[in-house]
Amino acid sequence: MTTAAVHLSSVRKRFGKTEAVRGMDLVVPEGSLTGFIGPNGAGKSTTIRMIMSIIHPDEGSVEVLGSDAIAAKDRIGYLPEERGLYRRMRVTEFLKYMATLKGLPSAGLGARVHAWLERVQLAEAAKKRCQELSKGQQQKVQFVASVIHDPDLIILDEPFSGLDPVNARLINRLIRDLHAQGRTIIFSTHVMHQAEQLCDRIVLINRGEKILDASMPEIHTRFDPRTVLVEPSSHNAAEAARLAALTGVERVQWIADRHMAELSVAREADPQAVMRAAIGMMPVRTVELRKTTLDDVFVELVGEAMPASEESGNG
Amino acid sequence: MAERRSNGAMRKIWAVAFREVRHTVLTKGFIFGALVVPVLMFGAIAAIGLLVGMQVAPVSGTVALIDPSGSVAEFARTELTPEQVAKDMEEMLRRNAEFKSLGAATGTQASAVLPSFEVKVDSITDTARTEELRAKVQDGELLALVIVPPEVLQANPVDAEGNPATFTLIVPTKSAPRTTATMEKCLARAIVKARVKLAGNDYTSLNSLLESPQTNVRRLSAEGAESDESRLTKTLLPMGFMMLIWITTFTSGQYLLTTTIEEKASKVMEVMLSAVSPMQLLCGKILGYAMVSMLMLGMYGALGVAALTAAAMGDLVSPGMILLMIVYFIMSYAFVATIMASVGSAVNDLREAQSLVTPAMLVLTIPLMLWLPISEQPNGMLATVASFIPPAIPFVMVLRVTASSEPIAAWQVALSIVWGFAWVAVFMWAGAKIFRVGVLMQGKPPTPRELLKWIRMA
Repeated sequence: MTTAAVHLSSVRKRFGKTEAVRGMDLVVPEGSLTGFIGPNGAGKSTTIRMIMSIIHPDEGSVEVLGSDAIAAKDRIGYLPEERGLYRRMRVTEFLKYMATLKGLPSAGLGARVHAWLERVQLAEAAKKRCQELSKGQQQKVQFVASVIHDPDLIILDEPFSGLDPVNARLINRLIRDLHAQGRTIIFSTHVMHQAEQLCDRIVLINRGEKILDASMPEIHTRFDPRTVLVEPSSHNAAEAARLAALTGVERVQWIADRHMAELSVAREADPQAVMRAAIGMMPVRTVELRKTTLDDVFVELVGEAMPASEESGNG
Repeated sequence: MAERRSNGAMRKIWAVAFREVRHTVLTKGFIFGALVVPVLMFGAIAAIGLLVGMQVAPVSGTVALIDPSGSVAEFARTELTPEQVAKDMEEMLRRNAEFKSLGAATGTQASAVLPSFEVKVDSITDTARTEELRAKVQDGELLALVIVPPEVLQANPVDAEGNPATFTLIVPTKSAPRTTATMEKCLARAIVKARVKLAGNDYTSLNSLLESPQTNVRRLSAEGAESDESRLTKTLLPMGFMMLIWITTFTSGQYLLTTTIEEKASKVMEVMLSAVSPMQLLCGKILGYAMVSMLMLGMYGALGVAALTAAAMGDLVSPGMILLMIVYFIMSYAFVATIMASVGSAVNDLREAQSLVTPAMLVLTIPLMLWLPISEQPNGMLATVASFIPPAIPFVMVLRVTASSEPIAAWQVALSIVWGFAWVAVFMWAGAKIFRVGVLMQGKPPTPRELLKWIRMA
């Protein structure tokens, strides 16, 4: 039986009249790489802050690494969404300070900091003040600060935001390495393909409630593909528009750069039958049933029900 | 996995405290503002005395005295001597009751500060030589020209228009004002002596008869104990003590306010809260700035005590007084630090902080506004009542303890300490609650009503 790294039972949190988290039950298995996804203001950051014991739930219980969240604080690494450094502190000094606060003894701290700076290609910035670093370098320093004490549980809130592709790839690799070492990682993001690429488990939160909690294979099974891509031999958009007349097709969208029509298949219709009908209607070069993406799942579960006014604010 | 030390709250608090100390004390701003400037100012004050002594040019030369009666010269010769000038200085210090302690120390140095004084007096009765002698003053041949008209020596010294008669002292432009003033004083006394002699009286016996007696004010307590009266001790010293505590606590309080705001603004707060609890962070910050404050108190206090000792007034500060000072300093710092940290946590910038700090500052300025009445009546109703109003308690009590000629009733001191620290506990409890909510808040600053809500909800 898998042990839970994080266990939330009926957790509620209210800020004034707003209920940010509504009776959340959640288990994050030890050693998993779990993605928290959801629209802005869904309650992701509030949930994470409660796991971190930065704020406390009004109701329910939070158990982290087998104890209460405060006792486990030193075993957790946290990269908050709103990043910050002591601007006038030098990089090495800042990292040593954070490691000390996380309970590491001062012996060997210098070597540990140096090794981590090497890993994130920041060795040359060791003696610089944090304010002298570029935004990307500052983010890497913050990432190191969250993992330097070898935490058992790592919580990363939007770790790639603001990073260039090279640095994003570097952090991506480090996250995979840490996961391979057996660390439990919770990873919050708005970018679905990042979650899809990295996570083995997804928790979708909307309006303070968990509306999806499943592994990626389970998601792919549960949300069967309902998008058919058709490339007409003529590469003609007008001809492709005729595909809307097929039984079971709800909508047709022309993807100009790929010369393809994207057909949304109704829930009650059979995608295989739609593919056969498309081939029968016109000459085609390719027909494919697109694999369900997290984007599709997100839109299906959240997107269409979400009023425009709720698409802003903090998670 | 990394080897971890125990999850000691105190270890984290100390780590936060030492970071705050290091990043405050070892900054150019602090070293210059809080250390170098006061030391330079103190040094400058000490240096002024030395510079004045070094700048005093020797006074040497001839004074031409035009006096048709010829009676002033003999007295002018005895007055314009180094001994007489030094005697005048000592007499001035002796007579000034406010500075009699200071006088003991400085009187002995008076002659050292005086210029060397070698003046020859030429008596001239021929008034026709006035222009010739004026030219000599102009050329620097003469130190001064003194013209004593006959009416100055009359029993009723008035001129033809009935105005007080005057004598004229002509000096070259390069003459130092202090030298001129000394000669003016000595010559005026010489003229009075000549006038007294011309009137057939003896100056020494008349002067003795006219001298005002010195006052020896004794303060008598209810128990019959006597003590000296010193207005310096009763007014300036309490102000000095209170300002010492005021400056040291408010300088640290200001640092606490700005660093807390900076931590919020630079978003480092949430990073910190992932490692320490809000209470540990608050305690660490307060402890750190307490060390900064104590460093300043120790430094400024030591300078103050050294200055008093140098002025032979060291006995004005007793060990008991210093002990009480330390107790009230801790209390005042705790009040100010809690206010500043909680306000700093609740706002986004210094401008917003002002509106929340102002009410507390108004209460804290009570001792400044009431300094004089409290110093004059340290056991009066006003002082007694003011010394139980938090958070002004420590400042008012320092004024009272140092101003009073007799000890403040022990029960009042004890009650003020117990009452004061009870209020410190209340402030810290409320401050911690505000801090805990405030550090994670962004957006518009809270109203006082919202702050009360935070205290209830946290």
